Amino acid sequence: MSEFRAGGTDLSERRRSGISRGPVRDVGARPELRRITATADGGWEIGAATPMAVLAADEAIRSGYPGLALSAGALATPQIRRIGTIGGNLLQHNRCWYYRNPHTPCLKSGGDTCPARAGNHRFHVAFDLGPCVAPHPSTLGAALLAYAAEVVTDRRVLPVAEVFGDGSDGSRDHRLADGELLTAVRLPPAVAGERAAYHRAISRTYAEWPLVEAVARLVVLDGTVAAAGVAVGGVAPIPLRLPAVEAALLGNPPTGALFEAAARRAADGARPLPMTGYKVPLLVGTVLEVLERAGRA
Amino acid sequence: MVKVEINGTQHALPGPLPDTSVDTLRERLGLTGTKLVCGAGVCGACTVLLDGQPVVSCLLPTDALDGHTVTTVEGIDPEHPVARAFVAHGALQCGFCTPGFVVEAAAFHDDWRARHGTARPEREEIAAALAGHLCRCGAYVEIFDAVAAACAGEHDNAHAAAPPRVEAAEKVTGRARYTLDVRLPGQLEGVVLRSAHAHARVGDIDTAAAERTPGVRAVVRLLDARDPEVRYVGEPLVAIAAVDRHAAEAGAAAVVVRYEPLPASVSASAALRPDPAPVYTGKRRTPNAAEGVLVPTPWKAPNLRGPVGQFSESAKTARRLLAAAREAGDPLLVEGTFHTAAQVHTAFEPHVAVADWTADGLTVHASTQAVAHVAHELARRYRLRPEAVRVLAEHVGGGFGAKLALSHEIVAAVELSRAAGAPVRVALDRLEELSVAGHRPAAELTVGLLAAADGSLAALSMTAVADSGVAVGSTVASLARLIYPAPAKDLADYDVVTNTPPGTPFRGPGGPLTCFALEQAVDEAALRLDTDPIALRRRWDPDPLRQRLYTWAAELPAWRERGAHTRTGRYRRGVGVAAANWFYWHQTDCEVELAVLPGGRLRVASAVQDMGTGSRTVLARTVAGAFDVPPDAVEVRIGDSALPRGPISGGSRTTATLVPATLRAARRLKAAIAEATRLPGARPDDAGVRHAGGVLAWPDALRAAQETTVTARRPDDDAALGRSARRPFDGAGALGAGMSVFLRATSRLRTGRGYTGSVYLAEVEVDTRLGHVRVPAMYCGIAVGRLAAPELAAAQAHGAVIQGIGYALYEQRELDPHTGRVLTAGLEDYRIPGIADTPRITLHFDEDGFEHVPGGGVGLGEIATMPVAAAIANAVHHATGQRPYRLPIRPDAIVEAVARGDIR
Ligand SMILES: Cc1cc2nc3c(=O)[nH]c(=O)nc-3n(C[C@H](O)[C@H](O)[C@H](O)COP(=O)(O)OP(=O)(O)OC[C@H]3O[C@@H](n4cnc5c(N)ncnc54)[C@H](O)[C@@H]3O)c2cc1C
Ligand code: SF4
Ligand code: FES
Ligand code: FES
Repeated sequence: MSEFRAGGTDLSERRRSGISRGPVRDVGARPELRRITATADGGWEIGAATPMAVLAADEAIRSGYPGLALSAGALATPQIRRIGTIGGNLLQHNRCWYYRNPHTPCLKSGGDTCPARAGNHRFHVAFDLGPCVAPHPSTLGAALLAYAAEVVTDRRVLPVAEVFGDGSDGSRDHRLADGELLTAVRLPPAVAGERAAYHRAISRTYAEWPLVEAVARLVVLDGTVAAAGVAVGGVAPIPLRLPAVEAALLGNPPTGALFEAAARRAADGARPLPMTGYKVPLLVGTVLEVLERAGRA
Repeated sequence: MVKVEINGTQHALPGPLPDTSVDTLRERLGLTGTKLVCGAGVCGACTVLLDGQPVVSCLLPTDALDGHTVTTVEGIDPEHPVARAFVAHGALQCGFCTPGFVVEAAAFHDDWRARHGTARPEREEIAAALAGHLCRCGAYVEIFDAVAAACAGEHDNAHAAAPPRVEAAEKVTGRARYTLDVRLPGQLEGVVLRSAHAHARVGDIDTAAAERTPGVRAVVRLLDARDPEVRYVGEPLVAIAAVDRHAAEAGAAAVVVRYEPLPASVSASAALRPDPAPVYTGKRRTPNAAEGVLVPTPWKAPNLRGPVGQFSESAKTARRLLAAAREAGDPLLVEGTFHTAAQVHTAFEPHVAVADWTADGLTVHASTQAVAHVAHELARRYRLRPEAVRVLAEHVGGGFGAKLALSHEIVAAVELSRAAGAPVRVALDRLEELSVAGHRPAAELTVGLLAAADGSLAALSMTAVADSGVAVGSTVASLARLIYPAPAKDLADYDVVTNTPPGTPFRGPGGPLTCFALEQAVDEAALRLDTDPIALRRRWDPDPLRQRLYTWAAELPAWRERGAHTRTGRYRRGVGVAAANWFYWHQTDCEVELAVLPGGRLRVASAVQDMGTGSRTVLARTVAGAFDVPPDAVEVRIGDSALPRGPISGGSRTTATLVPATLRAARRLKAAIAEATRLPGARPDDAGVRHAGGVLAWPDALRAAQETTVTARRPDDDAALGRSARRPFDGAGALGAGMSVFLRATSRLRTGRGYTGSVYLAEVEVDTRLGHVRVPAMYCGIAVGRLAAPELAAAQAHGAVIQGIGYALYEQRELDPHTGRVLTAGLEDYRIPGIADTPRITLHFDEDGFEHVPGGGVGLGEIATMPVAAAIANAVHHATGQRPYRLPIRPDAIVEAVARGDIR
């Protein structure tokens, strides 16, 4: 089975270590996949091979979808953002230290067990949703969930949430079919007056896979929260939208107390592993962080 | 076919080409300035410009280059302001990360200048731009300075001043050739097949299919036939050489190994169970995890060696006093159990060797901290005449203690070369480097410390159990004796062996662990005694050098105002102090050769090596200073075992060995030159050759001199001057004297008078919401005598602090609990400090106290890293009221403490 390659920043590492082999089909150079264009309904469409740095710097995205631009500008490193693409970001494979080690096969590499679950899963999920307990790596996946974006492939259009599924399939990191080409990401029309924030909890200052990451977008109208989108990464085998947090925000005045109460709902449904209990308070703290910042922005 | 413009030249590259650009540039085009370190986009060492934009070439597919332009470090103008600034500021140590930084910083500079003119960027702006680069040596302070100065226009013109580091220009331009860059005609590539089991008896190893694999040229067995057992995952079994890495890996995959698995103990707790799986079933041939020589020690249990308790004194009294205090609930009794994590050296140049075994002899290029020692060992192992073995290391991309021995990649390269009749390179990849190439052992340290009511130190106990993998010899608790001479001490060191990769010496072996536990206990005692922690150390620690450092530290505003920090709110600030003590060592069997060449140039030579610590510069500076000529008038020859025997680069001994020997050689050369002038009354003095008619200044005398060569060994220290300095192993009585003799006899390591010392303050800010611990500032008082090269000493100290921050806050080798396999096998999982994690570092060098040493100074690489984690831990306690008993102090630990209510 051949594998598509856009920027190659994920695939090249897997090929160097030998966990991915086989032929490669390059799509990164296709000009029709590198574009940011307005759609008829007032939204925007981003070609799948658009580099993340281009996305982060794009004026239309920065003003209309600040949570997406902030996420794209904060993930990975400057060098990776210059060649890694939005499509590759959504469809990249997870970073589990068992999966990425060529000597430790697992569910994701054709094996039949998950050595992390019974082993060392210090940086794994706090929402145990399925057989694989590696956090989904896609920062943009979370941001696009918060924007209720859609994904366009050469076969269909589907909500971004369906790209990731519900975490019950432990054998893959996304649900596109083999050979299905992602061509674009489609954003609904921007909402005027939106404010957003992105944050990742890490040990160093920069360039570290998040322990927990969160993105929040808020629209405040007449002193109450009129729209909210909150999504998180680093905690579940899929990027996770947090409807309970959003519901707690809607219709209420954006006060510190509200943000604290809403952030606490981020832990709803959390089921940490023996070594990941810390991720639950960290998740609540990170969500609070982005809510406060979006509230201030 | 890929068509690409590289550094201004059009290339049409026919396939098949390597997958990624870094391999195409390095292996196909010989552009070895671009470095491969992590291979995973994390470190930035491989950064090149693609159409003017910095990208990581290790993840950039070769075919993606088609139709584009690439600029590598070789294509950056050596007179670019950034290149000049890196040289002028000495913004590098080993230099292995430097090309990547230079490429990115040059692009940042050009963009900055276009937008902001000569405004000076803030540290934060530089850090954000360079966030995709790591430097293991920790040259970040100098990199900040260099980039800011270049942007501010300070390097638009060339500078005349001699740069702090003599080889900087070579490293900044990518010209410097490291072992990884060596490419000999006909060179083969070797790989190592490793054990898949933590513990197994190895039966038949069938290499027939491997030998038939296309491209394979040699297969050799590495596993000792006399001891056919593997004791950790990753233990070397077989090495395979082939025409390229691909073929060698295919060969390795074709080897069939018959394992008979044995029960394994892959953690300290498993190894210490009542009826454990023994790591050694037969005779225990354990490698040494320390720098010294192993003292014969009994085994207390199948996997537990120790105690080494010779450094105790009135141990029974100590135990009795502590037990009584515990019984009585004495509030002045401080007890605690501390855990440190295994820290991996992570030198950016991996362990690598290129061996060429011919009829004339054996030549080995190796990334090593010990060319002379490795040559000696090779001659012994293969029964070759010493002259027939030559070990070369022109530039070494970091070592930190992991490259002191004749390690398996060297043996593999040598044996493969012998078998294949061709040169062979064996280079560990990052996974191997982070898994099996050495680490600072993790340990559990139990401390008891009892202050008397009058505030004196009554008793001290420390038990250290170090998990050294399949190695022994860690010294942790014993070190506690040398700093606080309590009247009663109960100190015990144990090694627990496990079926995990062996520990190795790492910058001040044992020291940072001792400090972490002991200095926190002292801090706690100060709290209980309601005494200022610096004042308490002044009372308990008699060392005259550290006494001065305490005075300095106590006067710092950061210390005097520490009471102002509140313990409420989200962000907590705190200030902590810690002290450390280390040895002054030098090596006794070394020689320096010094020559004046026709025309007056000087040449100094010794079989030492420069792994980034600056030995090359120290030699050049010392000679230049003696003759009053610029350093670039001195040619330095090092990194070649054929030169007069030089010291290893370890144990902080290099400078203390080389400088006195070089000064003596300079005196001899001066005398020879003076005599050869035949001027009436000629005699050498500081200014030149003094004679009846006046003075012939040294630069002129050199020009007039005939070619002359002298050699010198290091003279002894001045006994009279040294009388006031502390005796080696003082407070250890006859045992100490014995220890000195033992070290000298077994390792040619001489322990001199006087201890080096350091006293550090750390400021921290703890985010109680997200668990992030930041170190905004560190104040570092260091006493190592006179500095042979002040800028390099500062750079070394900065790097040591930054590595210490990694140890304190980020670094932890993680294993799979069932197989003992290392999981932190890439740089994204093994986290070392980045440029943005660099504090403001204030250095204070106390330069007195080593007047008895010729040159006046000793080594600092180790003492400078020891108290960092301890000072940070004490600061975290000051900030939060919660004592960190475990390293690293990561966000998970902080948020858990908050969630438990321990931090309120
Ligand atoms: C050091 C480092 C840190 C990082 N940190 C982060 C982070 O914090 N957050 C984060 O989200 N990511 C992070 N990443 C991952 C990075 O964002 C991804 O590697 C990158 O986005 C992948 O994009 P690419 O174009 O290079 O994908 P590629 O490597 O080309 O492809 C990745 C996968 O997607 C598939 N694919 C790509 N494009 C298409 C398409 N159009 N149609 C169908 N399939 C396709 C490929 O087949 C492949 O399986 C980090 C990476 C590195 C190296
Ligand atoms: S967590 Fe997922 S990726 Fe990691 S070992 Fe388990 S199945 Fe594999
Ligand atoms: S080698 Fe490419 S980023 Fe480390
Ligand atoms: S100088 Fe940066 S890694 Fe050595």
